[in-house]
Amino acid sequence: MAEDNREPLAGAGALREALWALLPPTKEELVPELGEKVELGMARLLQEATELFCGGRRSECLQASEAILDYSWEKLNTGPWRDVHKDWRRVYAFGCLLKAVCLCDEPGNAPAVAEALKVCDMGLLMGAAIHGDILIKVAAILQAHLPSGKRPGPARQQPGTKKARNDGVPVPDVASERPVPRLRCPSLQHFRKQFLAPGRPVILEGVVDQWPCMTKWSLEYIQEVAGCRTVPVEVGSRYTDEEWSQTLMTVNEFISKYIRDESRDVGYLAQHQLFDQIPELKRDISIPDYCCLGDGEEDEITINAWFGPRGTVSPLHQDPQQNFLVQVIGRKYIRLYSPQESEALYPHETHLLHNTSQVRRWQQPRSSCALCAGLQGHQQPRRARGLASARRSVDLSPLGKRVISGHSPSQGGVSTGPPSPTRPSCRGLPGAQSDAGTCGLQPDAALPWHPERRDIAVRCCQGVLGKFTLRSTQGDGDAGRPVSPGAEC
Amino acid sequence: MAEERRGSWFGFGFCGFGQALGSGRGRQVHSPEPLETPGPGADVCRVSASWSYTAIVTRGGQVQLSGAAGGAAGGCRDAWASEALLVVLRAGPAVGSRPELQAWAPGSALRGEPLWTHTLVSEAEREDAAGGEPQARALPLLPGARAYVSPRPPFYRPLAPELRARRLELGGEHALLLDEAGQVFSWGQGRHGQLGHGTLEAAPEPRLLEALQGLPMAEVAAGGWHSVCVSETGDIYVWGWNESGQLALPTRSLAEDGKTISREAGWPSEGDSDVRTVGSEDGAPAPFIAIQPFPALLDLPWGAEAAQASCGSRHTAVVTTVPAE
Repeated sequence: MAEDNREPLAGAGALREALWALLPPTKEELVPELGEKVELGMARLLQEATELFCGGRRSECLQASEAILDYSWEKLNTGPWRDVHKDWRRVYAFGCLLKAVCLCDEPGNAPAVAEALKVCDMGLLMGAAIHGDILIKVAAILQAHLPSGKRPGPARQQPGTKKARNDGVPVPDVASERPVPRLRCPSLQHFRKQFLAPGRPVILEGVVDQWPCMTKWSLEYIQEVAGCRTVPVEVGSRYTDEEWSQTLMTVNEFISKYIRDESRDVGYLAQHQLFDQIPELKRDISIPDYCCLGDGEEDEITINAWFGPRGTVSPLHQDPQQNFLVQVIGRKYIRLYSPQESEALYPHETHLLHNTSQVRRWQQPRSSCALCAGLQGHQQPRRARGLASARRSVDLSPLGKRVISGHSPSQGGVSTGPPSPTRPSCRGLPGAQSDAGTCGLQPDAALPWHPERRDIAVRCCQGVLGKFTLRSTQGDGDAGRPVSPGAEC
Repeated sequence: MAEERRGSWFGFGFCGFGQALGSGRGRQVHSPEPLETPGPGADVCRVSASWSYTAIVTRGGQVQLSGAAGGAAGGCRDAWASEALLVVLRAGPAVGSRPELQAWAPGSALRGEPLWTHTLVSEAEREDAAGGEPQARALPLLPGARAYVSPRPPFYRPLAPELRARRLELGGEHALLLDEAGQVFSWGQGRHGQLGHGTLEAAPEPRLLEALQGLPMAEVAAGGWHSVCVSETGDIYVWGWNESGQLALPTRSLAEDGKTISREAGWPSEGDSDVRTVGSEDGAPAPFIAIQPFPALLDLPWGAEAAQASCGSRHTAVVTTVPAE
């Protein structure tokens, strides 16, 4: 290998070396250890693929890894996500690993490296950790080796996007509604006693001021750190709509198509564990101390991201877990209703949407807040009465299992929260599009008690926010299954 | 019992495990090739293909496995292959003893002891199994149609006798039953619309497909997450998941990949479109369909009629006849 040669050939050789350095040294250690769930045929195929890999038979190994991915993907799509055996997810991740490394074997093939990175992302989205989270390390190396054309760069000429743009969009008048109270850095005890235990919503100020994300995050930064990573995106204004669907794209594609361009469709990177996939972003955030008040273990805390343009809407729904929502950029409008109002909120009868209200347009809300950047909201809807409008989960608050949170059209956010059934289980169907509509799951239920309706179409600015859980609970079976349309990576 | 049609067997698809598909060379067979028979002159009456191995049953009563699982055994009337379990219907061990249903681990090569057995005791079961010819295409429906076998526990599952099952097919997460009157029932998971009742809800018990009432069906087939049936008049109805284009309806994934569906088969294509689109009434191209929750009638080109259908986990194959001019 010619070190002084700056041609891609040298770079590709360095890439191959760097990848192989990550792998276990022997064939026996490379084959994943799996239990009985993985049947005879697949066990043999894994052995064979590993032998082909170690024997340098690249194209045959690629064929074998495609077969591994095909079959294990079907297992990932069988039954509720929570029942998918982790061994199958490991098999899938292993298939991604072999495929990604084989793709990078060819020197100087830049599109192959980009595809290999996408394959890694599929393994991270759908698979389970193998060989010490090797796919994260592989992804980092691939990202570093992408030729500059493919590597995410700073955005072209956009004006600074740190400040939320306000295009004169009307903001709902929260003053006329019952506002969610705000506190500045309450003590853990006070928070627990006044809000967590009785189940009341609250906005906490000053808690996240020192987080790096508050100063670092911008569209340019996110593109630089994660631009070529593949993420799940929801397309459609709300998940109860007929045209709603999920798809995969890179962060660059998402930003250029749905954030900068403000296309006709609303695209939303919603409820995705982005920080597990991209550790660089995780370093910019922290976990609020209040999360330790939850019942579960700390490693059960899940962190989801919510990132989107203005106009995203989450229909009124119920989170199964206590959670905090952090708004990093932009603004969100949220309405909350008490769980006691469940009956009046017409939950869908179907299993798919059983925690989502059928109501689209709302009467006067009773408790609401506008969560601006830098605020950490705690949502406790027990006290709220009345109707809540749908809104992206912006509220940072330990939401009891029976909390009903509504989200009005938001500015998008990176909200980290539990992989909750707030989003319908069809999001958990890799590849499934929400043909909820074609099945007659029409969300518009007639409101019998009030002829007058007010359309809460709040247009706010782009935003990024985060949401944390206090504890993990068993949500709906399909919640949390990453999307994977078409499956193949 | 109807006279069994004698003909040739053809296979195509993934054979990376060395399953006997066509020539068996290479990992994939792209076009139908004649099946390699176990031994010269063997008269194959039943083929059951799992993902990594294939079970072939001859009229002489031999079952032979090829692929990731191997082995052979005699006295076999019927076999049904899945990754978790190989089920065979065999004559009893001693002369005059009752036929037995056996479930084997595929890796056992049919040696040693089966995982479990079920002796056919009832009159109905024995009569059905007592014919001289091996059963054709009965499993996973048991002789007597009072029960069926599942690859997941409980393995033995009774069926209500009033269902009068003629055929039963198991999909990945659902089951289809065709009764003597040509009616179709479905049960199991419904997340991908594979039950055909118009929703995504599961059905714990066999439920009649009302959309097909009045249309007697001749064949049913179940894939991973989709269902197909063929009517007595040669029409095909499909429902369930279409993510991979298994329903021959427009699908986003194939359109984006630019793969042709119909062109390979020589079907007439519409203009520049690579995907044969299902048009709506006003002539506009139909949107992509990921899930079809109730039966849709498919048009076959050239006025062909369907004779038989078979489903893989994410594909469908149909044998057609072209009516005489």
